Amino acid sequence: MVCVSYWFMLQLVEFFSRNRNFIFFVLLEVLSFWLITQSNSYWGAKYFNTSNYYVAKTLTLSNSIREYMHLKDINEQLAHENLALNEQVARLKELNPVQAPAAYTPDSVFANRFEFIVSKVIMTETNRTNNYLTIDKGSADGIKPGMGVISATGVVGKVRSCSEHYSVVTSILHSQFMVSSRLVRSGEIGPARWQSKDPETISLMDISRYKKVLKGDSAVTSNYNSVFPPGIMVGTVKSTKIRPDQTFYDIDLKVATDFRSLSYVYVVQNRLQTEQDQLLKPIEEERQ
Amino acid sequence: MSLREIIQYSLWFLLYLVLQILILRNVVLFDYGFCFIYVAGIVLLPAEVNRTALLFMGFLTGFILDVFYNTLGIHAAATVLIAYLRPFWIQLQLETKGTTERLEITLSELGVGGYLAYLIPLIFVHHSVLFLIEMSHFGMIGYTLLRIVASTLFTTLLIVLIQLFSRR
Repeated sequence: MVCVSYWFMLQLVEFFSRNRNFIFFVLLEVLSFWLITQSNSYWGAKYFNTSNYYVAKTLTLSNSIREYMHLKDINEQLAHENLALNEQVARLKELNPVQAPAAYTPDSVFANRFEFIVSKVIMTETNRTNNYLTIDKGSADGIKPGMGVISATGVVGKVRSCSEHYSVVTSILHSQFMVSSRLVRSGEIGPARWQSKDPETISLMDISRYKKVLKGDSAVTSNYNSVFPPGIMVGTVKSTKIRPDQTFYDIDLKVATDFRSLSYVYVVQNRLQTEQDQLLKPIEEERQ
Repeated sequence: MSLREIIQYSLWFLLYLVLQILILRNVVLFDYGFCFIYVAGIVLLPAEVNRTALLFMGFLTGFILDVFYNTLGIHAAATVLIAYLRPFWIQLQLETKGTTERLEITLSELGVGGYLAYLIPLIFVHHSVLFLIEMSHFGMIGYTLLRIVASTLFTTLLIVLIQLFSRR
């Protein structure tokens, strides 16, 4: 009996020593899978992940390499963040007592934040790649570069530079100028940009082809605008095209403003702009 | 294995880890091609390395990667598996080749064909385990398979490239 059990022990030991690698392998695999199932356990969550001090330090270094490799993506993200911020600004700006709760009393300063300065157009052009207008009010009348310019019929452009009595306005008929526009009926938002061809036509971009766009729909400045008050006419939908390889519509808008006959314009001054900017400044700094 | 070789292999091992953690962690080609070059640290060790040590090293490597990838256990499981399979795979290769001499796994010794024939199956197994464990539901199987194939190619390509530029 003793002999048998001794023999059995010997066999067992031999089995283990012969297959120790396999056993070790199985043990390690079991351990691994146990870790996978336990990854939410206390010590797993506390030490063995990227919040670990040394791991995080290493990854910071890795991230600095990554930043160089992904500057483009990061820029894009920042642009999206900006867009979100602008949206937030617009929401702050929104003064709509109809939608506001009953307890909301609009601040009169806020309600009257937009001030308009009437000005006469003394020079206009429509045939170049980049068109400008000149108006007869300048810094002496309180105009500053960056202010929006609208006409009675629609968007005109943005002040580029000022002298004492004159200002140059970048027209929306400028290859680099984009106006974020919203289609009134479908609610879709996209940038409108001139394609340097017909001065009566401007393209609305980035509207998904899977959305419904009606011909004749009006495009107005969206809430994303910082220079224009929301709801100023940009144009009406003239034609829509879908190219098979594109995910966006090619939409042509008929420009609401007739630049050739433009005579009087309004320069938009947002009196709360600086206040608003100052409000946003700490956020920007915080995010840096 | 001489001391010099041990140091040499350790440095290579370290290089692969650093490369993986600092740079390749953030590299994804077209949403499909991932690169897990740290596998090379295990796969390219000389054939004579002790099996138990190899398993242990595999686990340790996988575990370190897991900590950095926040995937506790997944890389460890995959790496241990190839560390276990490797000696059998080498034996098989030796048998077909008919030599029993000491084998170093380098491009110059195996030739491009032999090198790839050795490398790709192991990497494929590793990546398959990795992605299949990670796959959250079966509906993603096509996507996952594509990832496995693309990543295997990417990893192999990078290992071969690094081999070409090293003097080993």
